[in-house]
Amino acid sequence: MNANAKTKTRKRLQSSKELGRVITEYYMKCTSAKSEGIPVGWMPPMNGVIELFYAMDLQPVFPENWSPVCAAFGLTPQNFTVSENMGYSRDLCGYLRNIIGYVHGMIDDKNSPFGGLPEPDLLLTPWGGCVPVMKIFHALERRFPEAKIFRGDLPQVPIEEINDDHIAYVISEMHRLVEFLSHATGRRLDLDRLRETVALSDQACALWDEIMTYRTCIPAPFSAAEMGIMFVMVTLQGTQTAVDYLTMVRDEVRQRAADGAGVIENETFRLFWDNIPLWYNMGLFNYFEAAGGVMVAETYSAAWSIRMDPSDPFRALALKTLYSYPMVSCVSISKRKEMVIKACRDYHIDGVILHRNKSCAPITLGQMAIKRQLEDELGIPSVIIDADHMDARNFSMAQFQTRADAFMEMLAAKKQHRAS
Amino acid sequence: MSSHQIQSFADALKQSADHFHGLQQSGRKMIGYFCTYTPIEIIHAAGFIPVRLRGGPGTVEKAYSHVPDFICPYLKRCMENATDGRYDFLSGLVQGYTCDAACGVVNIFGDVVDLELIHAVPLPYADGEAARRYFHGVITTLADKLNAMDGRFSNEALQRSIALYEKIYGIIDQLYQQRLDGDLSIDAGDLQTIMDAGDVLTPEDYLRMLETLKKPPSEHGPQAIDGCPVIISGSLIESSVIFNLIASAGGRVVADDLCTGWRRAYPDYGHSEDPVDRLFYRHCTRRPCPSRSLAVDRSRVLTDLAARSGAKGVVFMVQKFCTPHLADYPILSDELKAHGLPSLLLEIDETWQTGEQLNNRLESFFDMIAASTAEKLS
Repeated sequence: MNANAKTKTRKRLQSSKELGRVITEYYMKCTSAKSEGIPVGWMPPMNGVIELFYAMDLQPVFPENWSPVCAAFGLTPQNFTVSENMGYSRDLCGYLRNIIGYVHGMIDDKNSPFGGLPEPDLLLTPWGGCVPVMKIFHALERRFPEAKIFRGDLPQVPIEEINDDHIAYVISEMHRLVEFLSHATGRRLDLDRLRETVALSDQACALWDEIMTYRTCIPAPFSAAEMGIMFVMVTLQGTQTAVDYLTMVRDEVRQRAADGAGVIENETFRLFWDNIPLWYNMGLFNYFEAAGGVMVAETYSAAWSIRMDPSDPFRALALKTLYSYPMVSCVSISKRKEMVIKACRDYHIDGVILHRNKSCAPITLGQMAIKRQLEDELGIPSVIIDADHMDARNFSMAQFQTRADAFMEMLAAKKQHRAS
Repeated sequence: MSSHQIQSFADALKQSADHFHGLQQSGRKMIGYFCTYTPIEIIHAAGFIPVRLRGGPGTVEKAYSHVPDFICPYLKRCMENATDGRYDFLSGLVQGYTCDAACGVVNIFGDVVDLELIHAVPLPYADGEAARRYFHGVITTLADKLNAMDGRFSNEALQRSIALYEKIYGIIDQLYQQRLDGDLSIDAGDLQTIMDAGDVLTPEDYLRMLETLKKPPSEHGPQAIDGCPVIISGSLIESSVIFNLIASAGGRVVADDLCTGWRRAYPDYGHSEDPVDRLFYRHCTRRPCPSRSLAVDRSRVLTDLAARSGAKGVVFMVQKFCTPHLADYPILSDELKAHGLPSLLLEIDETWQTGEQLNNRLESFFDMIAASTAEKLS
């Protein structure tokens, strides 16, 4: 295969090109919010806070999501330099080192992509979720002492054990948050507006699920290389923008599936990616195409779609909050194994790429168990790729190619053996 | 305190494997845990013996079939021990949720050890009434799970278990207090040995041994002891090599902020009539663990300890790849510096091999403190 693989992805969807407009508009809204008197709140993703924000006409900003933007624009090395000079260890998560470096460095540079991030008026610090995200917000509290702070409790419960006590507690935390937001911003929550927002979020999730379903088609109409579309699931859930954009993606993907349009001419191997992508090298997803491999599914994208019942919006927000993070982390490894096995069946997977991600122990832990179960239960081989979703210094292209090439050769031999 | 008394604690540690198997053969069931946030009183009240799993110094080979190399040495060693069959005496594993790595290891532990129960306790982070109610639900779930494996949890049993641990923690707290006051005749390594023995003994046996150590404070007041007074902070230290190294480099540990040290024994359980409320009180008022707290809260504890103990600096002894501690360090060191307390970060791997480099860094740190103190005095 080509040893000089490009770091940018080769995209096939027209709607992926439209994504640039959606991203730009989102960040323009973030930066213009201040001048329009709209309070800006920084928060972690994967919870029901985003819907509350949009329902109260507040502007949510996701520092975690800003890190992939920095990676795509090649800004992470300078952010790492800033945070590492402050004493943050290179063994820490790259999201943490990047965002802390950013807020202590180039945040004031208005020439940064999309005009950069606006400073927060509100900080929503999570108790729970992964430790690095918690620690990011502790550092942000110190960096932005003027911001009003809400610390929300989110005990970590495996999905299979979530019960009414857990739900009731998270609902009570949601109500506490609404009280905080009302007090801090002077804005009141309209329950009907919240129901509408939750309904929009649910529509987005339904569209997302439908889009993913078309990837079960052979050939797959699009691959993980188009995963940027996930942006709307992270930053715009609960908005008409997300629904409109995903409708456009759905229509295109549905048409491609009906036409039998694949990602490459001869889709020979259907692959599955576990763990976060390498944001600085999304072109890696295209790498397998030369050997007939298409990355047709991944664990990470599944965690952003939790169907919601708008008739009971607070319960819906609580369930989303409780379910999202355990779906991709080590909180619920048995559930994750089950999800991967099901996905491998549904998407007719031939081989699995397990990204052993130095920046994310919570997702990486449990991968070996998944690897064994794939082999034992489905006879699906997998390969471990050592890398890092943010820090290119922890990734060797040559090592990756050696492993990836050998894996693809093994898949080819296996297929040939079956055919003979 | 005699060397003979300390030796009995050291012996308990050395003989732990035989002891566990003896207990198992006598029909006692043992439940392992990693972090001291685990509500062990519930485990004990249900009739089981809580055993904090020790990683111990050594290498890691077989565990890499289950975990990546970039989690903390303690958990890697625990997985290595598990693959070696060293925890076969366990009937279950219960873990109070703290860090990501411990949570993940809990979830895969069943792949290597055959256990009746594996449960991560989703403890609240907040206090207040809603958190208290939630905590009651969490404890009920744990008690139900323990009862499902022939446990016999009751509120009365919990009262008794809390009373037992209250005595244990009371004696330990007194030892730490004596050290803080310069009135403890044993060194930091020996004190840690006493603490560690609690991991491998039944609480009843442990209390009996601790009671032999009780002594009134010295009539002569604090003793003058050599060495630069420092606080040691971190998660856990499973080798006295570290304390010996600090001593040989010219330091003297006067207080600690260790998960397996003073942080474990402090505070008391409050005065509520409801035993679960007493657990909740202790849970909420513990000295902060970085997995569950802000660095600035930890810096307040450390500066307070320094003021009370006369410590001139803080040595952070951190397990390699430990995210909670590593992520706190830059803020902590800044905060401590602002209070005139220098700090040093040392990372340790699973071998607990210290080497000359670590010694040099410690010596330089203590020399720097001495020079700074001399300058202030002049």
